[in-house]
Amino acid sequence: MDPIVGPFDRLIESLSRTVARRTSRRGFLQRGSAWLVAASAMPLLPAARPVHAADPPAGGKPARKYASAFANRAQTTDPTQCNYWRYCSSDGYLCACCGGGPSTCPPGTTPSPTSWVGSCINPDDGKTYLIAYRDCCGQDSCGRCSCLGQEGDMPSYRPQVNNDIVWCFGSSSMVYHCSSAGLVGLVD
Amino acid sequence: MGTMASLRAGACATLGACLCVAASVAQSDPPPTNVPDAITRQSGLRLEPMSRPARIYALNCQGCHGHLGVSVPEIPALAGRIGYFVRIPEGRRYIVQVPNVALNPSSDEDIAEMLNWALVTYSRAQLPPGFRPYTAEEIGRLRKERIDVNARRRQIVDRLLALKQVPSAKVLAIAPAARY
Repeated sequence: MDPIVGPFDRLIESLSRTVARRTSRRGFLQRGSAWLVAASAMPLLPAARPVHAADPPAGGKPARKYASAFANRAQTTDPTQCNYWRYCSSDGYLCACCGGGPSTCPPGTTPSPTSWVGSCINPDDGKTYLIAYRDCCGQDSCGRCSCLGQEGDMPSYRPQVNNDIVWCFGSSSMVYHCSSAGLVGLVD
Repeated sequence: MGTMASLRAGACATLGACLCVAASVAQSDPPPTNVPDAITRQSGLRLEPMSRPARIYALNCQGCHGHLGVSVPEIPALAGRIGYFVRIPEGRRYIVQVPNVALNPSSDEDIAEMLNWALVTYSRAQLPPGFRPYTAEEIGRLRKERIDVNARRRQIVDRLLALKQVPSAKVLAIAPAARY
């Protein structure tokens, strides 16, 4: 036998024999078909299938699906992130990072009876919802997850729709803790 | 042996997938939320589309005046009140000339629609018989005039009391602003 090819030949032979001994053709078929069935069942699951943005054009930049720049990069699953869809006009610390939720105040703070109302596009259904930006008051600033959304935000001479203002009017304390974003209504 | 094991594994995977589908179908019995959102998926919140005037009110007035037309004491309540003002011509003008209505970025048409809706929604019982709804033309004309809000309001309340159009001064009283 060729002194160079010989050892290589024997190695390949032993490898293929090992594979042949340890595996079965039917076993492969069963595993393969199990995966096939599982994979075909997946689309039946009622998991949320968001309306995905159109594929990016050849230019590289992602397509602008909505007129709102915020909505084009927003998500609906994680309220502790600045790009959670309801925060399109929120300016301040997220209550969801401070022991509360996107529409609930952390323990020890009180929701302000007054708020300002803005509107955000939900990126998954493309509909516009009204959001009440209600500050939670009565404790020092939370300091976590500082976010600045500026959709529809107006200068402070239009105070009803300005997010630089501490919205604790009517609350027992004007001390700002965090910002919540409650759902108020569906527009279209 | 190995064949049997993988057979069983394959069967389990298939059965598991089927059970999973069955379980999810059973769970979807109560109507699910119509808002695609992490929180509403748990709460099952359903929102119906708002009417146009309700939306104009919500975006421009509701934050302070409340969705029921009642809020904290220092913000004048609308519910059970605003209908009294349109009982006399100067009161009808006043409702449009308060700064946050007159200077609002909304169009004359939107303001007219919102005011007519708010009057009927929050203060139907106080409306005078034969109440004429505001028109956009009327709003456009009235909102140009700037008024001294507090002085004008006192005049109108006095006039309503003199004409016995309001049961008592208490009905239209505003609480002094709270000290913070």
